[in-house]
Amino acid sequence: MATAAQMLGSLLAILALAWLARHWQLGGDSRIVDEAHARTLGQEALCGFDPVEVAVDRAGQGALLRDGANRVLLLRKHGSHFAARLLGSASEARLDRHLLTITPAERTFGSVTFDLGDAAAHWAAQFRHVGKLAHA
Amino acid sequence: MPDLNPIDYAVPAFVLLVLIEMLWARRRKPDAYEPRDTLVSLAFGLGSTVAGIAFGGLILALSLWLYDYRLLTVGWAWWAWPLCFVLDDLAYYAFHRSAHRVRWFWASHVNHHSSQHYNLSTALRQTWTGFFAASFVFRLPLILIGFHPVMLAICAGFNLIYQFWIHTEAIGRMPRWFEAVMNTPSHHRVHHATNPLYLDRNYAGVFIVWDRMFGTFQPELDEERARYGIVHQLGSFNLLWAAFHEWIGIARDLRRAPWRHKLSYLWRPPGWSHDDSREGSEAIRARWMERTGR
Repeated sequence: MATAAQMLGSLLAILALAWLARHWQLGGDSRIVDEAHARTLGQEALCGFDPVEVAVDRAGQGALLRDGANRVLLLRKHGSHFAARLLGSASEARLDRHLLTITPAERTFGSVTFDLGDAAAHWAAQFRHVGKLAHA
Repeated sequence: MPDLNPIDYAVPAFVLLVLIEMLWARRRKPDAYEPRDTLVSLAFGLGSTVAGIAFGGLILALSLWLYDYRLLTVGWAWWAWPLCFVLDDLAYYAFHRSAHRVRWFWASHVNHHSSQHYNLSTALRQTWTGFFAASFVFRLPLILIGFHPVMLAICAGFNLIYQFWIHTEAIGRMPRWFEAVMNTPSHHRVHHATNPLYLDRNYAGVFIVWDRMFGTFQPELDEERARYGIVHQLGSFNLLWAAFHEWIGIARDLRRAPWRHKLSYLWRPPGWSHDDSREGSEAIRARWMERTGR
């Protein structure tokens, strides 16, 4: 009985703390501000990755980076930080005008849709090398 | 024989200190916390308590059985307590180093590291699968020497409580003498960082002297700001994925690997692969040092 009460108390405390974190708007709103920022994040995410081409989502939610070996790195917002994945042959991309939707092979990483403007078609073409490309 | 679980008494203080750190974050560093990350970390804490209730009795029963085969009887004298605490901390160092260097143990420990944040809620991000990983074996030699399992459990509880406060960015550095002997927020930030220079360093629980003695110490450098998490960041706030992703990864690797390499996916370091398609911390650090000329 005491253990159950202790568990219930802990659960209530957890929910209260998580609610406060949201209420106080902790976490902020991190965005990728420019190509240099994306480049730094890419290099930090994958040691030895030297981007030669970068495209940043217009809302700053993520970026695509290509290195000299034609490897494509997907960077996307994860909470107040960023997470990255190298896109392999099992990745999928769907182009819809300026919007490029990318689904990495690792499904738990989730799909992302970036507004890349005129560069979207160019980046979609990269998927002919690394993954599957579909047209909307 | 005392009947005491110090962690039960510490939980309210944990909650209060998380609240105080959140207030600090609100004023000084709002991105020190993220609501979903906090929820996942605290849920890990609650889940580990449930796992402790479920399996703690079994571990204690095994320990008491083993105690019958002890070489000596240390007993309950006052001096046995500090001795037990220090030796238990050494056992913790051995466990913790193995938890980073042997993938089987890493699968259980990884969830403590999978947050990209470093705050007091991260400290509560404890494993659910420690029993299955057999993490308790590192304390068994102390029972065979003659320390009573209950004394060990109490010392281990205080060890865990000590480690709570070092999970923070709110404290810079402690006085020099303290940094020399004790594990501190600065030392432990290094441990949680993914910077190549910091990978797999500072395994200490309470006394940083173990890292200094065994060559795994790395001081925090002002010019190398710590980036937290794991090399392959999760990119997900799914609690179950966070708890079991490495076990699932091991299962996949075991299924795909040639027979002669299967066991290596259990006992070799995280990041090892039979076809060199992945990189572990040593390879990452070596490449970084080559690139930076350090």
